[in-house]
Amino acid sequence: MQFFDLHVHSAFSGGESSIEQLATRAKQLGYSGICFAEYFKNENQIKELKEEIQKVEEKAGIEIFLGFEARNVKELNYLAKIRRRFDILLARGGDLKMNKEACETPEVDILTHPEYERRDQGLNHVLVKEAAKNNVDIEVNFREILMASKKTRANVMSNIAKNIKLARKYNAEIVICSGAISEWELRDPIVLSSFGNLLGLELDTAEEAIGKNAGKIVEEIKKRKSEKWIMPGVKVIT
Amino acid sequence: MDNAGRESDYMKQKDQLKTLIPTLRERKRYISFQIISESPIQYSDLEAAVWNELLDFYGESGVSKLSFRLVKNLYSDAKQIGVIKCNNRSVPVVIAALGLISRLGDTRITIKILKVSGTIKSLKL
Repeated sequence: MQFFDLHVHSAFSGGESSIEQLATRAKQLGYSGICFAEYFKNENQIKELKEEIQKVEEKAGIEIFLGFEARNVKELNYLAKIRRRFDILLARGGDLKMNKEACETPEVDILTHPEYERRDQGLNHVLVKEAAKNNVDIEVNFREILMASKKTRANVMSNIAKNIKLARKYNAEIVICSGAISEWELRDPIVLSSFGNLLGLELDTAEEAIGKNAGKIVEEIKKRKSEKWIMPGVKVIT
Repeated sequence: MDNAGRESDYMKQKDQLKTLIPTLRERKRYISFQIISESPIQYSDLEAAVWNELLDFYGESGVSKLSFRLVKNLYSDAKQIGVIKCNNRSVPVVIAALGLISRLGDTRITIKILKVSGTIKSLKL
């Protein structure tokens, strides 16, 4: 099975490691592809990042995708408009408005850590149904667990487990990502799937959350890059 | 001499229990892993870190159900490869805890899982 880590931050957006360091480590850990989820600054940044990614992709021998993580609703709406210029659109969850907007926007691929810095789980049955309808994947963020300890870690894990239960009930896709900001925070795909298993997924479903579900997003990226692609489910046949 | 007497003599001589019959034996798994680190890691540091993480995360009761053991004589200082023994039900539980170890002292580490197997031989170390 091919594994993908679709939420990694490089030094371009406050991370500690360069794109090359992260890509090399991901390859070493057994990933087939990695997506850099950067924070959007301006349009020139897209070109700059694409050039850097192309250089590293050849050197490291791993598929690299460019994604942007929208931090607020205004940014999300703007990024949704220029969606064709990059590979993956992630929405930074945690804020209720943001969780709602992300679940209702079909252009969004992944809603990251919906329970981030919250006492509750950040999602309910209505939002998860919307996410399932709009093909928005719900992320399980490993870094959130890694960085917390004791009481906070227990609360975070409890909220993630509740979100997983909801997502499974309403058939929303789940992806497990490392959320790493440094090469030392990247984790082996087997470690991530084991953690998914600990949070209530069966072992094969947990593996799918890093493999098959992430792979579906990657396939969609490849379709989107084709000139015949118009929008999800619509393409020029002739 | 009856059978019970013979077995008791045997145990006194060897100071070990008679091996359980296969159906009563616990099914075991060996997990081989490689440590990717900034500088080489000693076995004693690794052992302390793994036990601390397991006890912190699962507690004493939780760890008691894992049949966990870090196999000392299979740790390679040069290759930074080690082997963990646990029961077959606890493999994801042990691997998840390994993922939570991010530092050994000042050294940052990541653990790569190489293979999970029922025998040491098939780990092909």
